[in-house]
Amino acid sequence: MSRSSRLAVLLLGAGCFVPSLAFADTSVSAAGSTALQPLVQAAADAYQQSHSDIKISVTGGGSRTGLSLVSSKSVDLGDSDIQAPPGSDALVDHKVAVIGFSVIVNPAAGVTGLTKKQIQDVFNLKVKNWKDVGGKDQVITVINRPASSGTRAVFIKTIMGGATSLPPTLTEDATGTVVQKVAQTPGAVSYAAFSGTHNASGVIELAIDGAAATEPNVQDGKYPFWSYEHIYTNGPPSKEISRFLAFLETARAIMGKTGYILVGDMKVSENDR
Amino acid sequence: MVGVRAGKAHRDERIALVVLMSCSGIFVVAIALILGFLAFNGTELFWGDRYSLFSFLFSSDWDALNGHFGAAAFIAGSLVATGLAILIGGPLGVAIGVFFSELAPKRVASAFKPAIELLVGIPSVVYGWLGLTLLVPAIATTFHLPDGDSLLAAGIVLSIMILPTVISLSEDALRVVPVSLREGSAALGATRWETITRVLLPSASSGLAVAVILGVARAIGETLAVQLVLGNAAIFPTSLLQPAAALTSEIVMDMGDAPDGSGFKHALFSMALLLLLIAMGLILLIRFALRRRT
Amino acid sequence: MARALAATPAPTVEKLGGSSNARSRRIVDRIATALLWTAASLVVFLLLLFIGFEFVKGASTISWHFLTGSPTAAEAGGGVGPLIFNSFYILILTLIFTVPIAVCSGMYLQEYAAGGRFKDVVQFSAESLATVPSIVMGLFGLLVFVTAFHWHFTALGGALTLTLLNLPAMMRVTQEALAGVPGTYREASMGLGATKWQTVLKVILPSAIGPLTTGVVLVSGRIFGETAALIYTAGASVSYGRGAYDFNPFHTAETLAVGLYQVHREALVPDVDRIANGSALVLLVMVLVFNVVARVVGRQLTVRFTGKA
Repeated sequence: MSRSSRLAVLLLGAGCFVPSLAFADTSVSAAGSTALQPLVQAAADAYQQSHSDIKISVTGGGSRTGLSLVSSKSVDLGDSDIQAPPGSDALVDHKVAVIGFSVIVNPAAGVTGLTKKQIQDVFNLKVKNWKDVGGKDQVITVINRPASSGTRAVFIKTIMGGATSLPPTLTEDATGTVVQKVAQTPGAVSYAAFSGTHNASGVIELAIDGAAATEPNVQDGKYPFWSYEHIYTNGPPSKEISRFLAFLETARAIMGKTGYILVGDMKVSENDR
Repeated sequence: MVGVRAGKAHRDERIALVVLMSCSGIFVVAIALILGFLAFNGTELFWGDRYSLFSFLFSSDWDALNGHFGAAAFIAGSLVATGLAILIGGPLGVAIGVFFSELAPKRVASAFKPAIELLVGIPSVVYGWLGLTLLVPAIATTFHLPDGDSLLAAGIVLSIMILPTVISLSEDALRVVPVSLREGSAALGATRWETITRVLLPSASSGLAVAVILGVARAIGETLAVQLVLGNAAIFPTSLLQPAAALTSEIVMDMGDAPDGSGFKHALFSMALLLLLIAMGLILLIRFALRRRT
Repeated sequence: MARALAATPAPTVEKLGGSSNARSRRIVDRIATALLWTAASLVVFLLLLFIGFEFVKGASTISWHFLTGSPTAAEAGGGVGPLIFNSFYILILTLIFTVPIAVCSGMYLQEYAAGGRFKDVVQFSAESLATVPSIVMGLFGLLVFVTAFHWHFTALGGALTLTLLNLPAMMRVTQEALAGVPGTYREASMGLGATKWQTVLKVILPSAIGPLTTGVVLVSGRIFGETAALIYTAGASVSYGRGAYDFNPFHTAETLAVGLYQVHREALVPDVDRIANGSALVLLVMVLVFNVVARVVGRQLTVRFTGKA
């Protein structure tokens, strides 16, 4: 290859890496959990209206995508439903919110609440008909989230007693699809975040061990199905990012609208479960 | 030509040849890179994690978070759904292509052609969501099932999605058949149906095969519509009326969240590689068989 | 064929109408015709019903605000303006890469390569490239542009992925367009002393520009609706506020089709159905527009450059 063409190839190659450097300090990028995405998007929306010098872009992609992108410094903020795996020492954890989840059933099931043990039996396929747990005579149709889902991980940890695996069932990966399926399939049961279930028509949010699926019950620790939402930064956050995170953590109106709970309002912590 | 202008023309000729050949070369580089990247990431499960290829292909024990990567359920689901789609959509599409090309009045045919092409451009999510809200409950009530997510639902949705492509290409293939063949056949006393089945279809067979091939390609690679109506249950299918799983939907559901460097992620890339090999294999096989015949 | 014609006795009315064999063949013909008419009418009717249904469902959503406004995170009344912008942006970016490469390759394969190994290898590569499912292409884009190049989700990454996806189709379009040019044009041009390149550039390409444009615009329609390949390359979100209409090719660019996919997933805004139906309708209308424009412009260009009606 001639000298000029070698130079051209070198420049082209370098050009591929330039963008990640050039556009990193005037804008903030966030990626990761789709459960956290609405909150971060809403907060970013509001924050950018009052701070015109900062540009925040928010993507989904899933909790683990967020974690790996922030570890490789491809994004500034990694949104995650789960804690970073051990060994991610560079990542700084900011618990920005609490999110509640509910177990939703189709009204034809005829139940409004179950015990944790009953829910475990349903999802382990030990119980096949709703009448066996106090409901109507209706076949149970279980819908899970995909194996890699953060929501499923929370479900397993807080309701299924940390079971290592669940039997294969129908699976859908998005809140909207899950709610739609439960609403239109008699006897269906699944789980999703409050933000998708509180205002959903055609599904019933089950009370767990007698506690209804409400924010106050989560705050008081009576309702077990919740988790922290984490935003990870690679190293300590910059001043602009700290300001945005502080804004997010106290944005009561936005959280209320999107179905999240302020960490500050929690009367219990993760270790009390 | 002589002189300076001839020299410039010759130089342009050579430059042009280099540019054109380089552009053509991009195709070769592209497919080589794609195969390479996917082969590299898709075989990591077998070289690096030392998971058995036999288990991956033939075991349906899929428990990804615990190191079980038997993908047989997904492979079977993809193949059955695609097969069903072609069985329904293939003959139906060709038949309607025949209709537009041979039976329908010219004005009707040319009026419908843009409508058919419009359907090709509708995104899969639209088909999928309609399948979820209309077809799945319909199957549940018709067959008295608790839930209508099934291979049947996926097959029907896929066949509807490939119909416009198959219709459009069949019609094109038939149109190219020389008029003389039609006239000759009629002169021999054949009915229109006989002309179609014994003269036109055979002579348009390569074009019709292209129509079917493109249908297969679309069906086997379809991701979003399938995900919404198949149920995605990692169980080896034993009936068309049960929920099942497909390679494409599994990849799109778990790729984002599977931990980097985990066996899970490697297994997903192996699925992607397998999907690519199946798609390429099926299609190139059909093309090869065709070339042999003609 | 000619001998068969000569050997057949001239059909008499009596012969055609008389024998029972002929009658049963005609019955078969009539049944088959009736079946085809029924099947075709049913399918076409259902498909048109489907299109009509989509139109009606989405029609009430369409408003200036919907078409230009920004999406909202949790409130009703969001719009799809930035998504439409991203769809066009990625489309144009994709065409910038795809058209030159595909046209040049098409020209090479159709006009230059006589046979021989390079041509076969290229043809085979193009056919193989065409078999790659869109989700797999999206994964390749993820591996290369998002991860290896560290771009994360960008419009450029999406466009390059779509380029790879549509190169075979675009090349096929070029080859067909070029094949449609009569051989006499080439012979005449060469006879006048032009080089091959001059012939291709100044005679053949202009004659083929009609079908070529039609093909390009039709492929554009398909690019506009692409979803699976973009989810993991161009991303599934838009920047908010000032950043929404961004000409920087390295911005995260959720297109309308991907947005439709996302809105069903998130289901956070109270008017999910409204936005979904409206988005679907806009996509439908855009595909329709592309199809119509493709034919109209193609025909005009053919008339312009070749004088054929």
